[in-house]
Amino acid sequence: MSDGHSTDGMDLNALRDGVRTVLSEQASHEKVAAFTNAEGVRDQPLWSQAAELGWLALFADEAHGGLGLGPSELAVIYEELGRAVAPLPVLGTMLVVEALARGGDADQQAAWIPRLAAGELAGAVSMLAPGAPAPTLTLSTGPGSGVVLDGVVENLLDGAAADVLLLLAREGEGLRWVLVEPAVDGVTVEKAATVDRTRHLGVARFERVVLPAGRVLTGDADEIAQALLHHAALALASDARGGANAIFEITLDYLKTREQFGKPIGSFQALKHRCADHKIALVASGVLVAEAVAKAASGDSAAGRYALAAKALASEVYARVAQDAVQLHGGIGYTWEHPCHLYLKRAKLNEQLFGGPAAYLDGVTDLLLAAA
Amino acid sequence: MSVQTATNPSTATRRFDPLARKDDLDAFRAEVRAWLEAVVPADWRARMTGASEADYVAFQRWWFAEMGKVGLATPHWPRDWGGADIGIRHQVIIFEEIARAQAPNPDMFVISLYHLPATLFGNGSKTQRDRYLTGVKERGEVWCQGFSEPGSGSDLASLRTRAERKGDVYVVNGQKVWSSYGAFADYCLLLARTDPTAPKKQAGISYFILNMKAPGVTVRPIRQATGQAEFCEIFLDNVEIPVSDLIGEENAGWAIAQSTLSAERGLIIFELSERMARTLDADLADAKRTDAAWLKDDEARRAFTRAYNDMVALRLMIRALMQEIETDPHMGSTTMPTYIKVHFSELLRRYTEFRLKLGGLSGQLRQPIILGGGHQTGNAMHDFLLSYAWTISGGANEILKTMIAERALGLPR
Ligand SMILES: Cc1cc2nc3c(=O)[nH]c(=O)nc-3n(C[C@H](O)[C@H](O)[C@H](O)COP(=O)(O)OP(=O)(O)OC[C@H]3O[C@@H](n4cnc5c(N)ncnc54)[C@H](O)[C@@H]3O)c2cc1C
Repeated sequence: MSDGHSTDGMDLNALRDGVRTVLSEQASHEKVAAFTNAEGVRDQPLWSQAAELGWLALFADEAHGGLGLGPSELAVIYEELGRAVAPLPVLGTMLVVEALARGGDADQQAAWIPRLAAGELAGAVSMLAPGAPAPTLTLSTGPGSGVVLDGVVENLLDGAAADVLLLLAREGEGLRWVLVEPAVDGVTVEKAATVDRTRHLGVARFERVVLPAGRVLTGDADEIAQALLHHAALALASDARGGANAIFEITLDYLKTREQFGKPIGSFQALKHRCADHKIALVASGVLVAEAVAKAASGDSAAGRYALAAKALASEVYARVAQDAVQLHGGIGYTWEHPCHLYLKRAKLNEQLFGGPAAYLDGVTDLLLAAA
Repeated sequence: MSVQTATNPSTATRRFDPLARKDDLDAFRAEVRAWLEAVVPADWRARMTGASEADYVAFQRWWFAEMGKVGLATPHWPRDWGGADIGIRHQVIIFEEIARAQAPNPDMFVISLYHLPATLFGNGSKTQRDRYLTGVKERGEVWCQGFSEPGSGSDLASLRTRAERKGDVYVVNGQKVWSSYGAFADYCLLLARTDPTAPKKQAGISYFILNMKAPGVTVRPIRQATGQAEFCEIFLDNVEIPVSDLIGEENAGWAIAQSTLSAERGLIIFELSERMARTLDADLADAKRTDAAWLKDDEARRAFTRAYNDMVALRLMIRALMQEIETDPHMGSTTMPTYIKVHFSELLRRYTEFRLKLGGLSGQLRQPIILGGGHQTGNAMHDFLLSYAWTISGGANEILKTMIAERALGLPR
């Protein structure tokens, strides 16, 4: 998210301020803690508010009730959600919009995008990863013009909160993306609770589930998968950037006020140097994330590599800063009551979502080698 | 050694003028590239490998003069002071092309090109700027920096070299140390104490131009861990400096010294980061071509890619800084250059160590050094040793981290 204006002319700073203000009330640490303690799957008031404010419509095109904006604006939303550790399944929903925009036919786009953009439906997609193995879900032709799904899909980010799933299935030798509406299609998505309670994973099981043929996206499945992976990488990198900066600021404030040995603990050089290291890492990963977003927005040919690199670096920095934040807070940072652990858990989950650090580094290396 | 005849005779006759094409970036780049192809001797690295000091100095002077002929020695200076007043996009092109051509580093002129103008632009008198900037541009005068002393490194403000006003001159006594290129320097940017009774140690320091040929100046090279003697001790024994060579006001030297130090963290690293980018790309291409074993070693391969990502981030930080400077020539940020210096130097240390590990036992064999070859010559143990230069000098990283914590993050002293 280059600061200032995106190419479409949206004032990104104003967008950021607006989103931050709303989240500071609707997703305050107290509210997030209450949501996580209640073990919910979706924070409905927060979701409705996001829909009302048009956050979910930013990315969809204008013909389908959206604002037709791009990665720069979305990154602002992702980053602010990360700052607030907000429990909001925006990523899955936007991924479904992206897949439909790229690989859906006109009917599919008209049927689904407006409802996703309006927040009527939340989405979840198969967990992709750089170089991930092929799915076990299979798609075959069924009775009449329908199709049949068989198999188990694990690791659906926020899957139990979703009204529509977009799943990668194997069809003969090839791959297909399929839309499933759990409530309508009689599929239950079980929640697999993660230690990070602001999100969860879902498991969907299919035993000869029959769907209309119109649920299969016509576009090239690999191309869609790659676009979704890059989108997810940028989203998680932005989430990491926001979260890392937020927990770092909280920690700095604490170091300035907590006193031991008769002075603020932030006056101890051993701690100062760690903070300086974190700051430099935040600046370095921050400019990389911003550039990755800018390259995605401009359709640069290196955008994919930058997205993977941004996820690798930003999630690593987030984990490092969040881990040290607990140590720098001492006992209070180790309590359930303090927000430190919310950030720490989100950071550790971010590191693994849509592929772990090694997969991202290897993905970057492969692209570098291909170009070398 | 006959460096003067080193250029390719078939193209040496053509006159190159990149600055005349500066309105068209592509044409500008093409001209810089054509000039470099014509002028950089293909075998300069071989000739500078294990070269004598005299040959090194002659080659440095020759290269600086060649750069000067096409206006590319001092293009970053403002036009009024003999530069070309070019913008960041031109600077990027110059550094990219220099890195691409693997042209020599004009090491010996680093203080002349960066520290001297950064000091004189804001604080020098017109006479000083005319005399000394012209001297660099037209006569290739070499400068060194006389800040550090045996008892005053990180705590620079405690320096003890004394300057006493006697009529039209200051009489200077004391000792400086670690002065890079001191043995070849014509002049020195000198800090000395003019008021030992000032209540704050920073308040009693003045900033001088020292003529290294003046009576009473003795220079003694110090051999470094690399085996080279790039820096020197400077002994000052009743050296007379004319009052006209005081920079700024008496006792105002400390603040001026900050502008000198800021130079160290800007454009210099810009050039080095372009060279680093080039090296990492070349190392990877090389590994691909030779199907190097480390590509199949997960730990090594990922260490490389981590370094690569950090290098990309470094270049982006530098571009952000350059943009800031372009919108506010009076240096918007003082924090970004510090982040850049620490990030760059730690990355250089890490990457040169990575290369050294790949070298295994054979990487430990003594190899001749390419003088003026920069920080990533491929001589792994030498590059590794040289990388300390950037974590220690220009403000040791520990000092800079304390500075970041206190000034940028607001942590209490
Ligand atoms: C290659 C090279 C070239 C140089 N070129 C020049 C030059 O041209 N001109 C010039 O004037 N100087 C030059 N220097 C000197 C350089 O600026 C000093 O070495 C540097 O400022 C450190 O000072 P010192 O060597 O006295 O180390 P010290 O100040 O004694 O530091 C030793 C160690 O203690 C740490 N330390 C010191 N104080 C603190 C503190 N308060 N908190 C935490 N840690 C601390 C340092 O970070 C360092 O790790 C050069 C140095 C090198 C290595």
